[in-house]
Amino acid sequence: MSESLTGTRPLLGALAKHDGSRFAPWVLIVTALSASSVLVYPWIFPDAADRAALAAAVGSNPALGLIFGPAYDLSTVDGFNSWRSLALGGFLTALGAIFLVTRATRAQEDSGQAELLASGVMGRSSRLMAASLLALGASLMLGLVVGLVTVLFGGGWEDSMLLGFTFAGTGWMFTGIASVTAQIGGDSRSANSMAVGTLGVLFLARGFLYSVEAPEWTTWVNPLGWMQETRPASGNHWWPLALAVGFSVVALAVGFYLQAQRDFGQGAIAPKPGPGRGRYTTTWRLALRQNRGPIVTWSIAFVALGFVFGFFVTSIYDLLGSDLAVQQAIAGGAVTPEGLVGAFMATILSMVGIVAAVPGVQTVVRIRTEEVNDRVEPIMATATPRWRYYASNVIVALGAPTIFVLIAGTLVAVLASSADIGVELGDGVLQAVATVPAVWTVVAFSVAVIGARPQIPVAAWIGVLLSFAITLLGPTFNLPDWALAISSFWHVPKVTLPDPEWIGLVWISLVTIVFLAVGFAGFGKRDLATTPSTPLRGPARLLAGAGE
Amino acid sequence: MVTGSAVIETEGLTKSYGTFQALKGVDLRVERGQVHGFLGPNGAGKSTTIRVLLGLLRADGGTVRLLDGDPWDDVTELHRRLAYVPGDVSLWPGMTGGEAIDLLGSLRGGLDEHRRTELIERFELDPTKRGRQYSKGNRQKVAIVAALASNVELLIMDEPTSGLDPLMESVFQDVVQEAKAEGATVLLSSHILAEAESLADKLSLIRDGRIVESGTLAELRDHTSTTIHAVLGRPLDSAAVAALGDAQVDGSRVTAQVESTRVGDAMEVLTPFGISSLTVTPPSLEHLFLRLYEPDDTDAGP
Repeated sequence: MSESLTGTRPLLGALAKHDGSRFAPWVLIVTALSASSVLVYPWIFPDAADRAALAAAVGSNPALGLIFGPAYDLSTVDGFNSWRSLALGGFLTALGAIFLVTRATRAQEDSGQAELLASGVMGRSSRLMAASLLALGASLMLGLVVGLVTVLFGGGWEDSMLLGFTFAGTGWMFTGIASVTAQIGGDSRSANSMAVGTLGVLFLARGFLYSVEAPEWTTWVNPLGWMQETRPASGNHWWPLALAVGFSVVALAVGFYLQAQRDFGQGAIAPKPGPGRGRYTTTWRLALRQNRGPIVTWSIAFVALGFVFGFFVTSIYDLLGSDLAVQQAIAGGAVTPEGLVGAFMATILSMVGIVAAVPGVQTVVRIRTEEVNDRVEPIMATATPRWRYYASNVIVALGAPTIFVLIAGTLVAVLASSADIGVELGDGVLQAVATVPAVWTVVAFSVAVIGARPQIPVAAWIGVLLSFAITLLGPTFNLPDWALAISSFWHVPKVTLPDPEWIGLVWISLVTIVFLAVGFAGFGKRDLATTPSTPLRGPARLLAGAGE
Repeated sequence: MVTGSAVIETEGLTKSYGTFQALKGVDLRVERGQVHGFLGPNGAGKSTTIRVLLGLLRADGGTVRLLDGDPWDDVTELHRRLAYVPGDVSLWPGMTGGEAIDLLGSLRGGLDEHRRTELIERFELDPTKRGRQYSKGNRQKVAIVAALASNVELLIMDEPTSGLDPLMESVFQDVVQEAKAEGATVLLSSHILAEAESLADKLSLIRDGRIVESGTLAELRDHTSTTIHAVLGRPLDSAAVAALGDAQVDGSRVTAQVESTRVGDAMEVLTPFGISSLTVTPPSLEHLFLRLYEPDDTDAGP
């Protein structure tokens, strides 16, 4: 082992012990995703007619293709599973790998833990090596676990294992990408944002290009497209996995090269001196300041999302025209083309709304991060009442998603109304406005969690997960109305209907108010998080103990 | 219950985190216009006490008065009149030190421009660096400048100098003296003895969630012994050794530990033997302080 890698082995051991468990939820979620598909498929779609209906439903909803990618074969358990799990499972595995790498490199440097390590008998590249090995190993393990568990639940051997390995392959590629962004970003947050942003762009590009039936080469320029092309259960091509391994080796090489160039604790993008005087004089401006970066980034993302979805709506007849079941439904008078377009637009804007809730919840969860990092304490030691600090952040958390939905919604409406498909500009904008209260309910849930029960910040995401699962998968799985009603987006009226049910918005807004009240009462009454002293945590502690 | 001159008064203050009892009955009294040293080992309850005083934590039991108000209920009104320097300063990573000072100052209700400029100069702080670029000592300076730039009645400081170099430490001491001269009250938690010794009018020592000693430096010293070294003309007789109590005799040299109040008595015993050289060392706070760290036996009061 070369000198620059000295100490990798004990570091890897310590990392695996401490940070390894952070990867466990990702293994759990992806395994559940895949195993549940094979479990429920025969139960919900027992015969060929049901399966054909499913294929028709999936074919008629291009928005599904955007998330799940192409459905090659929905007539078998494994075909269904690879459609439902491949893209999302890979996405989730990649997220887990990115967080693991960034945490073990830049987050450690930001917190000062790494300084202790770097001053020990430790090669310059050991920390990156240990982090990369951990993420590679964890991704591989995830792939194996998913494959084996899926087989256990009734999946085919080769189909399931190949599916598992596409997750591992995606994890490997994003281990490489994260090792690069960890060298470029100014701190751990920007390193994470860059890697997750790359993942998001590639993910959306893959779904979009597939859905609009772009030329085949567009699949091959996108690493996520390679994983798609393994086609588990409908061809079983193993060789694209080699591309993934090659990609991660190259990306890691770039990462290690950049790591050798940069200074400890600094990214490749060097910080400039800032203003000596402050313009931020209220908690409200502080909240805006802290969320400025994400708001700008997400705004750009929603402009892109608006174009993508708007394009979808305009081409609805092309998209639906090829689908026999839909044509029959229209011909039989069961649905009108206008009604179909209106319902489709409502679904699209619900998806925009769910995505918009993500930055909202992020803003709320950041309050807790600030608190744990002792940055709320000095503010609370000034003449600032707790409710005002919380309110400043909550307003940003509710306001930003509102703007995002309106940006994307207006773009969808403009594109749709210009395409002569029977949609008025006003209808589209009104539908977007009607979606906003549903977003608020989801964000308000996280306000309640962080205010009243902040010990489990992950719970703040339950709202987003539930609405995502119910809105996207509920109708496909024929869930009953009461189950669909759990999602606030189910209550959004379809404004193009002759008699939209506006009352639904009143109910979910009442729920929103209750959530907000719980959150504010909790934040006002509870003890603030304290760190009585600053003990060494995790790997630093293990190594410090071993050195004595 | 509260007399006019007490700025901080707690009685029987208790606080638990889950099953761990951090404060087991803290009785602390800080007089107006004084610098009050708050000493104790790590984990004794200094920071917890301070956080209760700031209304960040809610006390489980006992009474707390701060500036004639309740730190939990009257939080905003009280905080206009006080400033806080945390022990572990965490700044916003992307915000410059200057921005942080202005933010905290305006949230407190404004700061003294002249004082801000002067303090930044005296502490040699570069206010254009971003939070993540500062060293521990420089983060500490940002918090100190932010606190001292507003003219407040009460300064609460939790180990404020733990990252400062000796030069800055002495600047800090000057600045605290000036604040006191202008009438401010200071609660200074520390485990740097020299700092407390030179700044504090009164001291409270906390250990294991309780105040074990409290008083002026002189009062605390009375409880400990003074060391006397003497070289005598002729050796001590046994009666004299017995009279001194705790004494070691090496020919004509004598080293004795006597209670601070009994130094005069000891002189009377020694003088007849012809003193040719004499040093009397008053007890340092360090003696007192080290006793805090010893295992719980003789000195831990109720």
